[in-house]
Amino acid sequence: MKTISITTVPGFDEWRAAARVALAENLHPSQLLWRTPDCPQNDLFTGGSDQLIVRPPTASAIRQQVKVPPAFMSLCEAALCHRDSGRFEICYRILWRLLHENRELLNHKTDSDVIKATALAKAVRRDAYKISAFLRFRKTECRGQEHFVAWYEPEHYSLELKLDFFKTRFKNMCWSILTPYRAAHWNTEVLRLEDNPEPLIYPEQDEVESYWLSYYENTFNPARLKVKAMQSQMPKKYWHNLPEARLIKGLIRDAEPRARAMLDKAEGGD
Amino acid sequence: MSDKLIAKLAVLSDAAKYDASCASGTAGKRQAKKGDKGIGSLTGGTGICHSFTPDGRCISLLKILMTNYCIYDCHYCINRISSDVKRARFSVQEVVDLTINFYKRNYIEGLFLSSGIIQSPDYTMESMVRIAKALRLEHGFRGYIHLKTIPNAAVELQNEAGLYADRLSINVELPTQAGLNKYAPEKDLLAIDGAMASMKEKIDEHKNSTTYTGKRLPRFSPGGQSTQMIIGADGSNDKTILTSSVNLYDQHKLRRVYYSAFSPIDHASQLLPLKPAPLIREHRLYQADWLLRFYDFKLDEILQGANGDMLDMQHDPKLAWALSNRQLFPVDLNRADQHLLLRVPGIGARTVQKILTIRRHGQLRWADLVKLRLPLQKIKPFISVVDYSPSAKLLETDQLSARMAQPSQMQLFGGMV
Repeated sequence: MKTISITTVPGFDEWRAAARVALAENLHPSQLLWRTPDCPQNDLFTGGSDQLIVRPPTASAIRQQVKVPPAFMSLCEAALCHRDSGRFEICYRILWRLLHENRELLNHKTDSDVIKATALAKAVRRDAYKISAFLRFRKTECRGQEHFVAWYEPEHYSLELKLDFFKTRFKNMCWSILTPYRAAHWNTEVLRLEDNPEPLIYPEQDEVESYWLSYYENTFNPARLKVKAMQSQMPKKYWHNLPEARLIKGLIRDAEPRARAMLDKAEGGD
Repeated sequence: MSDKLIAKLAVLSDAAKYDASCASGTAGKRQAKKGDKGIGSLTGGTGICHSFTPDGRCISLLKILMTNYCIYDCHYCINRISSDVKRARFSVQEVVDLTINFYKRNYIEGLFLSSGIIQSPDYTMESMVRIAKALRLEHGFRGYIHLKTIPNAAVELQNEAGLYADRLSINVELPTQAGLNKYAPEKDLLAIDGAMASMKEKIDEHKNSTTYTGKRLPRFSPGGQSTQMIIGADGSNDKTILTSSVNLYDQHKLRRVYYSAFSPIDHASQLLPLKPAPLIREHRLYQADWLLRFYDFKLDEILQGANGDMLDMQHDPKLAWALSNRQLFPVDLNRADQHLLLRVPGIGARTVQKILTIRRHGQLRWADLVKLRLPLQKIKPFISVVDYSPSAKLLETDQLSARMAQPSQMQLFGGMV
């Protein structure tokens, strides 16, 4: 039994380096124990196993690089951002099976490992998409310059998947995105990552937010209340960081009386 | 920014909300180039939904009217000249500032600008084009712009609009001229049709031709054009509506036809029906529209499952079609071709792709359907796999249609009518 300790989140690069070494040593998935920074209880089972030594690959190792389908890499990139502590194990197992069992494994949509990894990846991609959707910047000033700051709590380690999106879209803006585990700071040229950031730099308010709230209120049509449809796309867990969400309760409460009033007025031959 | 501007925004977003189109459709990829000062991007997919309001609709774009003053008198419209609704008008600069300020805070994907007709169609259209132009040229805005063009405006203005907008649209509103005559006396179906045709021509021209030096022409409304029809304001049945959609998709290559169930408005005209159209009807029309565009269905096939000229409200249109074509079922998931797989109720286009992939490596069994998380109760009567086929009774029984019927959806005001 060998133990591999992943020390960073999400841990994709570390996992890939370790997986290369493990393959080179021909270690079967069942011979490996993956330890993750977010799951210390794995320590209970590590007694008596050796650490796998992961060194930068040698020239000969690089020559013998393993070839995997591109779909596998993109599956891992997403799946390994999940908080599930079994993520490293399952991705290594699929890698092993791809090389030793079946190159076409990923097409077996009913294979349990494939189903599990696909589900992890899907959850992460959804989580990442919601960052690009629900993240809200507030404007502040930093050394005399406009600086936009957002606080966001993703469910998984999905921030890394969206950094390119924010760098592209807001290329000429200075911005900081703070999450509980990591912050990204962009100064229009360089992206800097910072672990465990200080959330206090998130501004209390933004002058444009009242316009946004007014827009949200007025674009809502009280005559077609569909609360479930809203919540399936924007579940309550996101609400506490969305400025407009504090209006929802009141809008729902007043919707029926408002719509009824419109009808009564029309019937009255207004 | 000021309180007065907030008040204007309230009026002009309230006035714009009856347009169902929320989406920022696909218009290719785009981003600020190296070294320029622009802002924004298009990701290449469909636009991001940045928020949802309690009516279940997404907020993707800043959807506003430039002004809700209007010289027209369309009865279904809250902004018609005879309505006593509050009026307001944005300046070009105000719309530009709002769009950029909202965009910078990641509230929106871009702007969806529509307008009441002030002074003349040309005057109105020209102001709208100025807004789009300022966003693109002065601010380097690479986000999404959807302009609702004004039907009778000069073709030159429409052509200029297409250079700055990602999508242009003209609302048909009602599918027949008789309906328009009654509810929108200034609107002319032929004129709308002509504008759509010339727009299609322009889109094709910019997509396919090059200049004499071999350069590609600039993008012209790369997201194509779309339209909206109001459901339940006039007497048009679903057959008429869908026939009109099919024509729009075929002739003018529209990207989307939106259906908007007529919903009660403040300051309503007395000509209008008192009762709002049921939202389920709008939903069924969208489902039918989807089948036409992505599932190889023909209109007459959809009508096979309908009740006369109206869609079945109890069953979705695919299920309704299946119920009236029971002889084709059960479909063997291990043998049927793609066309037939797409017709099985409860099996969507993505599942069909999965099934085809799996079939290259082996045979599907019941346990696989469980693993794929398919809606087993729904598909059960219609499919067979290696170790399962439905009892003949299941398909034949008259109760099948009752068992499949959706519990009737609660409607607002259900108790009153």
